[in-house]
Amino acid sequence: MNNIKTELYPQAIRGGGKKSEAYKKARRALIAELISGVTGLLLAGFIFGHLILEGTMLFGKDLYEVVAYYMEHPLPLAQISAFSIGILFFVHFVYASRKIPARLYERKRMMEIGLSIKKAKKRWSQPKSDIMLRRHRETSLWIWQVRTGMIVLACGAFHLFLVTWNIFTDMGYADASGLTAKIASSRVESGLWILYLVLGISVVAHLAIGLYRLAVKWISDTWFNRRWAYLLCTVIFWFYVILCIAGVAALAGKLTLIEIPVGDLLIRS
Amino acid sequence: MGRTLTFKIFRYNPYDDGSKPHIQEYTLEETPRLNLFNALNKIRDEQDPTLMFDFVCRAGICGSCAMMINGRPTLACRTLTSDLPGTIELYPLPFFKMLGDLSVDTGVWFREMAQRVESWIHAGKEFDPNAEETRMDNKTAVAIYNTERCIECGCCIAGCATANVRSDFMGAAGLNRIARFMIDPRDERGHETWFELVSTDEGVFGCIGMMGCDDVCPKDIPLLDTLAFIRRRMTAGS
Ligand code: HEM
Ligand code: SF4
Ligand code: SF4
Ligand code: FES
Repeated sequence: MNNIKTELYPQAIRGGGKKSEAYKKARRALIAELISGVTGLLLAGFIFGHLILEGTMLFGKDLYEVVAYYMEHPLPLAQISAFSIGILFFVHFVYASRKIPARLYERKRMMEIGLSIKKAKKRWSQPKSDIMLRRHRETSLWIWQVRTGMIVLACGAFHLFLVTWNIFTDMGYADASGLTAKIASSRVESGLWILYLVLGISVVAHLAIGLYRLAVKWISDTWFNRRWAYLLCTVIFWFYVILCIAGVAALAGKLTLIEIPVGDLLIRS
Repeated sequence: MGRTLTFKIFRYNPYDDGSKPHIQEYTLEETPRLNLFNALNKIRDEQDPTLMFDFVCRAGICGSCAMMINGRPTLACRTLTSDLPGTIELYPLPFFKMLGDLSVDTGVWFREMAQRVESWIHAGKEFDPNAEETRMDNKTAVAIYNTERCIECGCCIAGCATANVRSDFMGAAGLNRIARFMIDPRDERGHETWFELVSTDEGVFGCIGMMGCDDVCPKDIPLLDTLAFIRRRMTAGS
């Protein structure tokens, strides 16, 4: 009996002992998917914290200095995160960009189909027709995720490099090494604000779309369905985009919400 | 009432060397509750007998009439012209083999897919005609039914950017079919078999979550839910 079964359905009852080539290949595909998702998630978590900490500049230089101080004392948190984020950044880039179609023809085709379905919305007159016409924007969103990913790759690498250099040396600002409001502001004022704006908005768009797709891909069949995911990620997007713009303005010395005078707390040794 | 509809229809006959892809225009008086099935037949009967398109059931059951209607893949027989503006553009589904004008061959693709996923219940037990039927709980039965509502129209493949550029991708319809057997307690295929089949770049990890499939499926099959289920099942089991 068992023999007949084996012949009819050879792949059905293999198993036990050594794993086949196909199994190993499947395992690699799963691991690659998990790595790109988890590194994306970790990076997103880091960016959330990072932008909030930068945003403390909105409450005055003093608060920013306090935060900067605790990023380096007693533990060199800034140094540790610059290092580990650099690694995560690279790993994420390697694994996530597997999905980007290599050939120009393929990329064009993807855009075509995305635009076609998206524009269809305008070319049907009754969006409430019972058959269909739910929105469709996600294909274009993915394409934007790839584009913003590229921008983040370029600007982010530069930014990481600069900051790493800064927190390990005094970078020629003889009076202080490490994080200070003065250095951050002088970087922004010297024209880098453009870079920070582009990088900030791109990174936030990239991670909002990424988190949305991540949620849909893994848990859309739970109560946290696509609708909730979309809503939450839209809120995340706008909150962080505004925070980022305001933060850059604050670093440029153009915007302060309220000054919180906590400078006295600082005892720099 | 009484609109005059303009149809812009893609024409091409791949079997005729003289044929060049082009758009041809037809006009038709709109009648109450006119659907594209009737509209296209009228055009063929009264204006152009060479126009090629497919319909069988005209009731959203057979899946043969899917086409790009104003940019969106869906079933022509279930589309009322009153849901559309006065100008209606019709293209054949992309990706599938072109037969002529609006007619494509979805059958070959779906048969290959079915063979690839071995779309039948794998059971080794000998059938005992006298035994009582094995019971299945309602939840499982409903879940299986939900996946089985697929009419193989091909809209989810046409609307998926990944499938459009990667002909080896199983697509939402293929993964939906796999899920159908994965949840069936009668199917004896084990985790390892599913894992090898589905945890690949041609399978569920080829999908990048653009959600086109779910948005265009004319049968409202919860394809995204199915994809999420498969992803988790593959991760948890390994
Ligand atoms: C701090 C920087 C970054 C953050 C916070 C971030 C975040 C994310 C998140 C949360 C995802 C979703 C993961 C998934 O869908 O599996 C994602 C996906 C992606 N990321 Fe990033 N990312 C960053 C940098 C980059 C860079 C530098 C690139 C370079 C090209 C990139 C390219 C991509 C691509 C192509 C995807 C889609 C992957 C897929 O569809 O599976 N990202 N990112
Ligand atoms: S979610 Fe997107 S990539 Fe995945 S099968 Fe559906 S349309 Fe294709
Ligand atoms: S899953 Fe939906 S869109 Fe895809 S072939 Fe089946 S019925 Fe058509
Ligand atoms: S004719 Fe059968 S689904 Fe449209």
